[in-house]
Amino acid sequence: MSALLELEDVRCGYGPTSVLHGVSLAVPEGGIVSLLGANGAGKTTTLRAITGGLRWLGEIRFAGRSLRRMHTEDIVGVGIAHVPEGRGILTELTVDENLKLGAHRRKDGATAVRKDYDRVFEYFPVLRERRNLSASTLSGGEQQMLAIARAMLMQPRLMLLDEPSLGLAPLVVRSIFEIIRTFNQADHVAVLLVEQNARLALEMSTDAYVLEVGRVAVKGASAELKGNESVRRSYLGY
Amino acid sequence: MQEFLQQIVSGIASGGIFASLALALVLIYNAMGLVNFAQGEMAMLATFIAFTLVDHGVSYWIAFPVTLVVAFAGGILVQRIVIRPVERAPILTLVIVTLGLATLVNGVAGFIFGYVPRSFPSPFSAQTVNLLGAFVSYRDLGVIGVSTVVLLLIYLLLQRTTIGLTMRAAAHHPEASRLLGVHVSWMLALGWGLASAVGAVSGIMVAPILLLEPNMMQTIIIYAFAAAVLGGIESPLGAVVGGLIVGVTVNLAGAYIPFVGGDLQLAVALAIIIAVLVIKPNGLFGRPSVRRV
Repeated sequence: MSALLELEDVRCGYGPTSVLHGVSLAVPEGGIVSLLGANGAGKTTTLRAITGGLRWLGEIRFAGRSLRRMHTEDIVGVGIAHVPEGRGILTELTVDENLKLGAHRRKDGATAVRKDYDRVFEYFPVLRERRNLSASTLSGGEQQMLAIARAMLMQPRLMLLDEPSLGLAPLVVRSIFEIIRTFNQADHVAVLLVEQNARLALEMSTDAYVLEVGRVAVKGASAELKGNESVRRSYLGY
Repeated sequence: MQEFLQQIVSGIASGGIFASLALALVLIYNAMGLVNFAQGEMAMLATFIAFTLVDHGVSYWIAFPVTLVVAFAGGILVQRIVIRPVERAPILTLVIVTLGLATLVNGVAGFIFGYVPRSFPSPFSAQTVNLLGAFVSYRDLGVIGVSTVVLLLIYLLLQRTTIGLTMRAAAHHPEASRLLGVHVSWMLALGWGLASAVGAVSGIMVAPILLLEPNMMQTIIIYAFAAAVLGGIESPLGAVVGGLIVGVTVNLAGAYIPFVGGDLQLAVALAIIIAVLVIKPNGLFGRPSVRRV
């Protein structure tokens, strides 16, 4: 079976500075894949390349279709939800308006959307309570929940998560990761997870890639990587 | 007392005109952090279109919406053709572009329609009606009514519809909005179209009072600047409240402060701009601007 998302020898950068020097990776349909690595290794850049945030060379395919020259808003339309670095919360708007934006391109009718709202509120009850408040009043953890809930409402086939644990209390991180796993299993939505917290990411995912200065240094099954002493020491830092 | 009330009502009427143009400025400021110096001239050109239609026997109440549609399309065209190529340029470049656009539109209008002031019809009679003891003209009431409806429609569009939501999203957070599937560039164009249509309302409302000629909006735009700045430049509600306050203040100053009279009303508007910038730079409804250093 071919993968849902495939990157083949992707190279890109910002202006004259090249950041990715040929990254290849694959995310299977319904799978969870971690993308690990130190700061500046190119994790965020990889995600940005996938959703058209910068120009790249090589090939990126989603569901068998090349994403070359596609605009971000159209890539999102074919089923990729990207929760970016910093969460991308629209702080001028209310919680509800943020969620509405997640669902605004859906064509499967109001009933289906309302059902998904109910589900999302079941996952994150706090968002229901804060529905009509400005998103700027939410705590960091709640904003992360909002970002993920909004991505769920986009009804994606693939979710890109950029450091969902950043700046959050360990307990909050645990519960958010649990919900992501539940969602992944219930809806068969694939996840590409960028994380600094390698231990947690490896627990969640089936496969993992470790980036080092713009290249894939190690790849393999998450369980294997977790058990490999030398990989853990040299790349994952725990 | 009676005269005072009359002055207030006619101040509110001019305030509605200023508010419409100020709202146009705010819509574009919100979308791209830019004050569109051509807003007044675009409104003037739209008013000439309405004039031409009425002049050819089209009824006022048909010419009015038709002009708004044309102005809307024109605003979108301006954004696509003139603004988009320089979208990412430094703000000063954009300011110069809108100034150039103002000059261009002014010249084109002068070239086509000439500089002879023309009287523009008002659908409302100049007769007065006794309202709570004050004699108020139907014309003032009509202007207040039309501005209210237009401002209300814009409010409903922005706050209650999905397209309004995506416009607000695109204006505040273009990058994050793109990731949610919002066509940001088109939303900006839509913002220009909307601003152009709202501005056209102010032009059509003011033309019967001032006489229509290519320089008609050049004082009105100053009042609109004052209104927008007073309201906090990025708040649509602020633009409306600011417009009303400027309208009433200027009118009262003209009537009751001897040396202001009719000649120095514009100076009052400038005084308001300066006072706001000195005392409360964020205006009545603006948020303090925070910048990460």
